[in-house]
Amino acid sequence: MKNRKNNGPVGEAGESSVRRGREKINFRTVKALLRKEFEEKRSVFKTGQFDIVGFILRIVLIGAMIALFVVFFGRFTGVYMAVKTDGRTDIFSRATELLTIFYTAVIIGMVVSGVNSLGAELFNSDDMKIYSALPINEKTLFIAKLISIYKSQFAIALVTVFTVNITFAIKVPVTFAFWAFTLVICFLLPLMAIAIASALILPYQVIKRFLRERYILMFIVVTALLGVAFWLYSMILGGVKQMMLGDAIRYFFNEKVMTTIGNVCAWLYPARWYANIMTGSDPIFSWFWLLGVAAVCILFSLLIIKSILRRALQARNEGVSSSILRSTRLTRKCGKFATLLRKEFLLIFRTPSYMFSYLSVALIMPLMVYSCMELGASIVQNLVGLNIYLEIALFLTILFGALTNIFCATNISRDGIMFYSVKALPINYKDIFFSKIVLCLIVNVLSQTVSAIILGVTGYIGAWDAIFVFVVGMLFSFVNIAVATRYDFNHVKFSTEEDGEIKESSNTVSAIIVMGIVLSFAVGGLVFVLKVLSQLRGFAYGPLTYVLAGGFAVIAAALSAFYLLFRLDRKYYEFSGGEL
Amino acid sequence: MQQQGVENRQGDGSQEPLDGERKEILSVKGLYKKYSRKADWAVTDVSFSCYEGEIVGLLGHNGAGKSTTLKCIEGMIPFEKGSIAIDGHDVQKEADKAKANMGFVTDNHATFIKMTGLQYISFMADVYGVSTEQRVSYLKELEEVFQLGKPIENLISSYSHGMRQKICMMGSLIHHPKLWILDEPMTGLDPRTMHAVATFMHSYVAEGNTILFSSHALNTVSKLCDRVVLIRKGKQVSELDVKRIYAETPDFDFEEYFLRNEEQEE
Repeated sequence: MKNRKNNGPVGEAGESSVRRGREKINFRTVKALLRKEFEEKRSVFKTGQFDIVGFILRIVLIGAMIALFVVFFGRFTGVYMAVKTDGRTDIFSRATELLTIFYTAVIIGMVVSGVNSLGAELFNSDDMKIYSALPINEKTLFIAKLISIYKSQFAIALVTVFTVNITFAIKVPVTFAFWAFTLVICFLLPLMAIAIASALILPYQVIKRFLRERYILMFIVVTALLGVAFWLYSMILGGVKQMMLGDAIRYFFNEKVMTTIGNVCAWLYPARWYANIMTGSDPIFSWFWLLGVAAVCILFSLLIIKSILRRALQARNEGVSSSILRSTRLTRKCGKFATLLRKEFLLIFRTPSYMFSYLSVALIMPLMVYSCMELGASIVQNLVGLNIYLEIALFLTILFGALTNIFCATNISRDGIMFYSVKALPINYKDIFFSKIVLCLIVNVLSQTVSAIILGVTGYIGAWDAIFVFVVGMLFSFVNIAVATRYDFNHVKFSTEEDGEIKESSNTVSAIIVMGIVLSFAVGGLVFVLKVLSQLRGFAYGPLTYVLAGGFAVIAAALSAFYLLFRLDRKYYEFSGGEL
Repeated sequence: MQQQGVENRQGDGSQEPLDGERKEILSVKGLYKKYSRKADWAVTDVSFSCYEGEIVGLLGHNGAGKSTTLKCIEGMIPFEKGSIAIDGHDVQKEADKAKANMGFVTDNHATFIKMTGLQYISFMADVYGVSTEQRVSYLKELEEVFQLGKPIENLISSYSHGMRQKICMMGSLIHHPKLWILDEPMTGLDPRTMHAVATFMHSYVAEGNTILFSSHALNTVSKLCDRVVLIRKGKQVSELDVKRIYAETPDFDFEEYFLRNEEQEE
């Protein structure tokens, strides 16, 4: 009864309450908050909005990535274990170094994801607005949020650490303790990752706040980061290719390189302690340090997150903040189509997630095509001894074009409630749809032109072939854009976010991803396989690539134009859906 | 009870113009709307007209069908039966011409929040084909009424609820439409702006334009409107000539009439 007196209805203290100063953590409320979160996630299945295609795609993609990792990491482990220093192999040291490096990578990945989770849970979560008005004390809310973040981090740790350790165990014999410690590590790793992430979250928020509304700067930063990430990725792929195709990797790990790796790994804490425990090197010392650091991490993150929770609550309640972006005069009169085009560009450019997923990706696309061209061409050359550049260029251009244009699957949905307002304006339906399609085509023209030029200049294909690749790429881009736009209109689901931003994947997006991949494999893959077969079997191939790819592209473009326009006017004027 | 100035709905939906010389700006005849095949009618046989130089209120409870009727007029959603014409142009057959004569403000004050206020006004001006000179002079007039001030240069996402409403109103008026439609216009406005908007509405219709707005606020409707169309459960129940009623019966209690009418219907 005494407890009840101090708290409101939700804050009623049960037996599980723990006294902490004036406020108490109410574990019953913590449980209720976690249950609410679980029910929210489960509701997707109940309401029939579950993106089954997307879910399968994600599972397939994660499965493929894990499989790829297991194959390459397994092979790399074998190669690395055989590296000799001072004329002899040292499995013990190599294993410690290898695990240290991979655990470091896992921790870095988890810190990045931790910063993201903390930002999403504390600063961007809409429920914070509601909670701050409810009789839920900060400590209770804090524990609920922390458990929620820890859960997702633990899931990531389970998948990554077990993948690394299973692959490692295939190549190196391990004991039962190895598996027991793997599980313990999965519990401990998130604590450290969250602690580091909580130290980074405020600087991250400051940078984010600084970039807010500085759209051009944000575009440059985001695109540069994406470019660097892809460049690193292509470097790793290049290394993997070298490893797969020859013995060059063995020569890379000479005495000097191995000494450097050893010195760096000796200081890569806390990953080094984990690796020591797994390999049984100085385990007591490592356990001591690891548990000590884990305890400090827990205290550190508790202090940091608790101190920013109040700020986060205030930030959510304050809602709108002052705008720094200014336009000081009305624009000169221009046509409806041009103004719609400008509106569409502004909405994409000024929504960071849209800017990243379309404009930045489109800008980086030439780099992706070139890197994969370099990789693919040399792999094919090594495997079958053939130079099949045009077909690979076609395949990659269609594939990356399709992946870039996935964004178009939200062409209508992202208008949100404004779709109806625009419908009430004196604008022809064709202008509305074509302005969206033309903007996407302009973006594609820019990225595909650069791609074709790079492929031509680097000598993979000639000038005429580069033009052919550009034309076919653009025709398939049109197919993707037109089908995605109409498919989205037929299955439109407007966002309920205040700014209309679409943050979740949908069946439409997943369907367009599948279509893009199938199309690129069907056409690019077909001409590639035919070319390889013709070369290997020695039958006359002639201009079959031009006929098949060109023919398919023209037919697909015509069909997609028909699909886009079929009863579009009727559907538009009769439209009253969107599940708003 | 039949009062002076109160017209009960005619079976054929036709209404005699209050002033034979005035031009009909909006004509709604036998409007039926349902949101899906299985759903009940959201609007049933609604008919009324709006003439130049008058303010007409669409009055009813939450969910009575006011917003649905307005959305049908604005061309946002299709309707099953009936016809709607704005300045003689059918909203279904000559959609663009009909919409060109209309400006509207929705109840949710939806705008492009990633645009600045001025960019939004420019967008609306372009859509309605307003010349560069005209848009500058119209905007000056509108700024005097709505007093949005410096924030008009900033992103709409930084606006408060009331500021968003103001920019929506300004955008909808940038082409000086013959018919101005507003869904719950006074919600969220501060008293000063409410007064400014009310004054503006009177001066706007004095220029020969027409205003149609929905509301469930009896006070607002009784003070602003020349005529009121009462809607209940999707049906038009009566039409009142508010101006005439107040002229003939200065102590007419609009609230009492509304509630009594509702009791009788039940």
